[in-house]
Amino acid sequence: MNVTDRLKRITGEAQNPAGGKPSVDAKRAAVVSDLRRRIDAIMERRPQRAEPSPERVFPEGRARDIVEVIDGLLLENDRGACFVSDGVLLGKEQYGKTTVAEMTRFVMDHLALLARDQRLAGFDPADALFLDTETTGLSGGTGTTAFLIGLGWFEGSSMITRQIFLRDFSDEAAGLSLLREIVGEKGFLVTFNGKAFDVGLLSTRFVMNRIVDPFGDVPHLDLLFPSRRLLGHRLDNCRLGTLEEEILTFRRHGDVPGYEIPARYFEWLRRRDGELMRDVFEHNRLDLVSMAALAAHLSDLVDADRRDSREIEEDLLAAARLRLHRGDERGGQRMLEFIINDGSAGRTGTTVREAARELSLIHKRRGEWDEARGLWERMALQWPGDLFALEELAKWCEHRARDYGGAIELVERALDRDGMTQEERSALLHRRARLLRRCGRDQE
Amino acid sequence: MANLTLDEWTARKESDRRFTENIRALKRIPPSEGRFAPFPDWIDSRLRAALEKDGIDRLYSHQAEALELVRQGRNVVLVTPTASGKTLCYNLPVLQRILEEPETRALYLFPTKALAQDQMHEVHGLINETGANIGTYTYDGDTPDDARQAIRRRGHVVVTNPDMLHAGILPHHTKWQKLFMNLRYVVIDELHVYRGVFGSHFANVIRRLSRICRFYGADPVFICCSATVANPKEHAERLLERSVELLDESGAPRAGRTFILYNPPIVNRELGIRQSALTPARNMATELIENNIQTIVFTTSRLNVEVLTKYLKDRFARGKPVDDDLVTGYRGGYLPNLRRRIEAGLRDRKVMGVVSTNALELGIDIGDLEACIMTGYPGSIAATWQQAGRAGRRQGHSLAVLIARSNPMDQYIAENPDYFFSRSPEHCRVNPDNLLILLHHLKSAAFELPFQRGERFGAENIEELLDYLEEKGVLHRVDDRWHWSAESYPADEISLRSINPENVVVVDTTDRSNHRIIAEVDWDSAFTSVHDEAIYMVESQQYHVDALDLERKKAYVRKVDVDYYTDAMTYTNVRVIDGFDQSRRDPVMVEHGEVQVVRKVVGYKKIKFYTSENVGYGDVNLPEKDLHTTSYWFTLPRAELDRLPWTRSEIIDGMSGLAYCLHHLAAMALMADIRDLDRCIGDKSGQWFMQKGGAGRSPAGKEGETGQSAPGEDDFDPTIFIFDAYPGGIGFSELLFERHDGLIQSARSLIESCPCEHGCPTCVGPTLEVGPAAKDVARAVLDLMGNRP
Repeated sequence: MNVTDRLKRITGEAQNPAGGKPSVDAKRAAVVSDLRRRIDAIMERRPQRAEPSPERVFPEGRARDIVEVIDGLLLENDRGACFVSDGVLLGKEQYGKTTVAEMTRFVMDHLALLARDQRLAGFDPADALFLDTETTGLSGGTGTTAFLIGLGWFEGSSMITRQIFLRDFSDEAAGLSLLREIVGEKGFLVTFNGKAFDVGLLSTRFVMNRIVDPFGDVPHLDLLFPSRRLLGHRLDNCRLGTLEEEILTFRRHGDVPGYEIPARYFEWLRRRDGELMRDVFEHNRLDLVSMAALAAHLSDLVDADRRDSREIEEDLLAAARLRLHRGDERGGQRMLEFIINDGSAGRTGTTVREAARELSLIHKRRGEWDEARGLWERMALQWPGDLFALEELAKWCEHRARDYGGAIELVERALDRDGMTQEERSALLHRRARLLRRCGRDQE
Repeated sequence: MANLTLDEWTARKESDRRFTENIRALKRIPPSEGRFAPFPDWIDSRLRAALEKDGIDRLYSHQAEALELVRQGRNVVLVTPTASGKTLCYNLPVLQRILEEPETRALYLFPTKALAQDQMHEVHGLINETGANIGTYTYDGDTPDDARQAIRRRGHVVVTNPDMLHAGILPHHTKWQKLFMNLRYVVIDELHVYRGVFGSHFANVIRRLSRICRFYGADPVFICCSATVANPKEHAERLLERSVELLDESGAPRAGRTFILYNPPIVNRELGIRQSALTPARNMATELIENNIQTIVFTTSRLNVEVLTKYLKDRFARGKPVDDDLVTGYRGGYLPNLRRRIEAGLRDRKVMGVVSTNALELGIDIGDLEACIMTGYPGSIAATWQQAGRAGRRQGHSLAVLIARSNPMDQYIAENPDYFFSRSPEHCRVNPDNLLILLHHLKSAAFELPFQRGERFGAENIEELLDYLEEKGVLHRVDDRWHWSAESYPADEISLRSINPENVVVVDTTDRSNHRIIAEVDWDSAFTSVHDEAIYMVESQQYHVDALDLERKKAYVRKVDVDYYTDAMTYTNVRVIDGFDQSRRDPVMVEHGEVQVVRKVVGYKKIKFYTSENVGYGDVNLPEKDLHTTSYWFTLPRAELDRLPWTRSEIIDGMSGLAYCLHHLAAMALMADIRDLDRCIGDKSGQWFMQKGGAGRSPAGKEGETGQSAPGEDDFDPTIFIFDAYPGGIGFSELLFERHDGLIQSARSLIESCPCEHGCPTCVGPTLEVGPAAKDVARAVLDLMGNRP
């Protein structure tokens, strides 16, 4: 008996078991189908995700070839052929709150700062290669393929997208070859979570196809990390979709959810209906545009010499802190000063206070006491009873000005306020006691 | 009174008639001279200097032979006793090659993490002394993420286990390019462990490893080590699917050893009951430890570890302050830090007695023990010698005692010492082409690299299997290549070792504010060991299971102090799906084929310590477990049985006894663990089955009701099933089908030669369980089956 028959019998697929036995009765059939379910369960232990099956969305009909659905052509090279779809977004096109032309104007120094890679500063926005893949799964490892490789770059004020599609696994070598060529022509990569996912996955695919991996030492700005740092404080999560809606104010309509994409591709492999892929191409294209918009937004956000205040103050504070964290104290200082001094409405809240506090500590560290004291006095005035400012002033009075009386007065002002923790109160009391002792000694 | 030395103690026992009358064999294995060979001249001077510093200035003859063969690029399997310097047989050629060509990479596979860690230290020591820059790393589930990348690039020697190779390395082989492109050696230790289900999986992991090596243009040499089995070369060749040279003449000198086969006395001839093996084990261990002789006691189950540890701890706690570490248990399920503490205690002799399952037999370094007591035959001659080898690895004289239990396997060994002391007759068997196992690994292999038409992967015609997987939608074929086309990660779907990779953690809730995890239990054992109301024991502390939460995979327990333990009762029901082959042995029909087995834990017995009295029952409500597997069975015509002068229930008792006997003999013949096989009496339709334990045995309807009124009883053609306890079967059933006549023959001789009157644990099972007529019925049934010599 051949193997497939044996397997089919185990799984109960055979209607007539081999050997010409009579067909099974209903009860046995029920047993067998139960068994088949169990064996399938043994073999595929992972629970199946309940998701709308593509068949329901796309009734079987005449399958339309990919070229009938997606604007593009077959591209042949020495490794075979793959399908390529190019698109252009003109500079004047609006995308959320911005236009494509505005996206192209990011500042390379800012990108270098975001990527923590100074090499980026030597490039031009036109050297950027945006990259985003659609894959057959998220589990990683050698069995996951990137079937759609989306690329994007700027030409003049327009954005060009090129999407490399594998009509089947056999297109992979040609597709990767093409990708390798394009990566070679560009200067640096921009991705969203590409360090952990897309680039590693593509590197694996290059090895599997025995093509030299072009990514090697190419500079790479992964937008996920700076997005988390600069915007994570006010978002539920840092997915690209969330950033799009909340930050870029762009809304997608009828977007295919990411988790459905692998199943769509497997269905395409079976049915070859290009309709299955239409939404996937669009999803991927929008991801590319979002990355460009996001890069521009982040570049703008970390501008140390801004003259306007379009941005949300918490974001600016995060940007200032990013600069400080990356060792750019002067730039960070200018951003903090902008937050504090910008006269626009509503700038009285905790963010300004935080910025003033941060800035005062920079001055203190440098020994610029006048500037530091100026800030503390301003804080103590603007937010009466600000514990930090009063304490710092008290320290200043005690250690720099040797004005113990002034210091005691400040500590007492601080003690007057409510809502202190036990530790804060006892620290103040401790300080006052010491000051009183010192006062007494001086008077003797 | 001064302490006795081991020799003095042994001499005293040998003059004690009450002891010697239970000795079935006493073998003095003389010390043997070593055979030596000089270092080959190609050995790097740094390596030589390092070895000489450790006092090694020449090689044992088998080491020199291994070095030469490996140098020539031949695969080898070494079969040499414990402490014969087998690690040098692989470390030397590997390190030598790395010193010559620094790009060289080697992969070491050990069956357990603990063993891998232990061997790692050894290689490390050797490397340090050479002063060479050679990276050796263990790569397992405990390896931190940030270390992994460095290991992939810089590890010359990567030490791991098959499970990690299967799920962590092969499916990510592109990240291991450097390893695979330069892989010259694969070292596999404890090769004999890879048999049965585990071995069948392992052979497929090796197939996958070989595919990946081919992809990167590597063709490594395999260096394997095995304990003594009958077919080491054949087994290695079956696992590796390449030709292998056998080296089984050890040149290492051997210390003298006394080996005693001890059969506890019969205490009730009527019932054929022997003294429990635990009793002499306890007595001997007590005397040895009292004399300050470091002793290891092996038992065959976790439960016995706990019972015996409790006995010994009680004994040594008496009359003096409790020295808690003097005697301790050690078994799988203890958490790693506890195990490390015990191992260290053994090395510095703070621990003088340890009671263990086979967890230690694999060679973790615990120093030199003097005496080894095996409570029950470990299941194979190979395992027996390995356990005995735990005593006296390097030092002078040592003692090993094997105490037989009452079961057929142990009694066969005790009464046939020649069988035991002659060369090991046991074979390691694997069935890498078990359809389910093969399919799992085909999926993983396709995930790793697409399959090309015409590619081979084991014996089966894989093209049909690939077509099948394509039909199932996990593979997609284009241009004669099958690609993985599913979202899942197939290596996660299976565990190489047990049917279900999930574990249940045991949570101690005694302190309400501080819940602690005290142990882990594998999924299948959880049903019988931590069901509601069970008594679970760790370190001889008893815990009462308050609740088993299968969904969260947790068992909540609290400390108790009770005078009983619990033993689960299960029922098993077998339904034939299809027969592969049949053979008529009038009037019996012998068959093998596919079956569906349903098992359920229905209740438990409370058994009192020391007296083993049954002091109560309880019900357990757990879901049924299904197993689709292969079985061997034979059916007796009801009409023939009706002619026998016994009632129907007596006849069923007799058949149960026969099944008990066949189950044990089959496991022994196949070198299988008794739990790799299972048995059941029923009829082929699955309408009937025997309930085990509890209310005694009587035919029961499939819903579990008992009684004479169950419908369809007249159609009952009693059938004995001996089946593979693994989904899809592991090939045992077919072997048993082929050996049916021999099996029946040995059952007949065992039952006839057994001195008991009405059945005992040695032949058809204890009378109290199988009923007074069982032995006679079993004999009559065997007669009825004809084919007398």
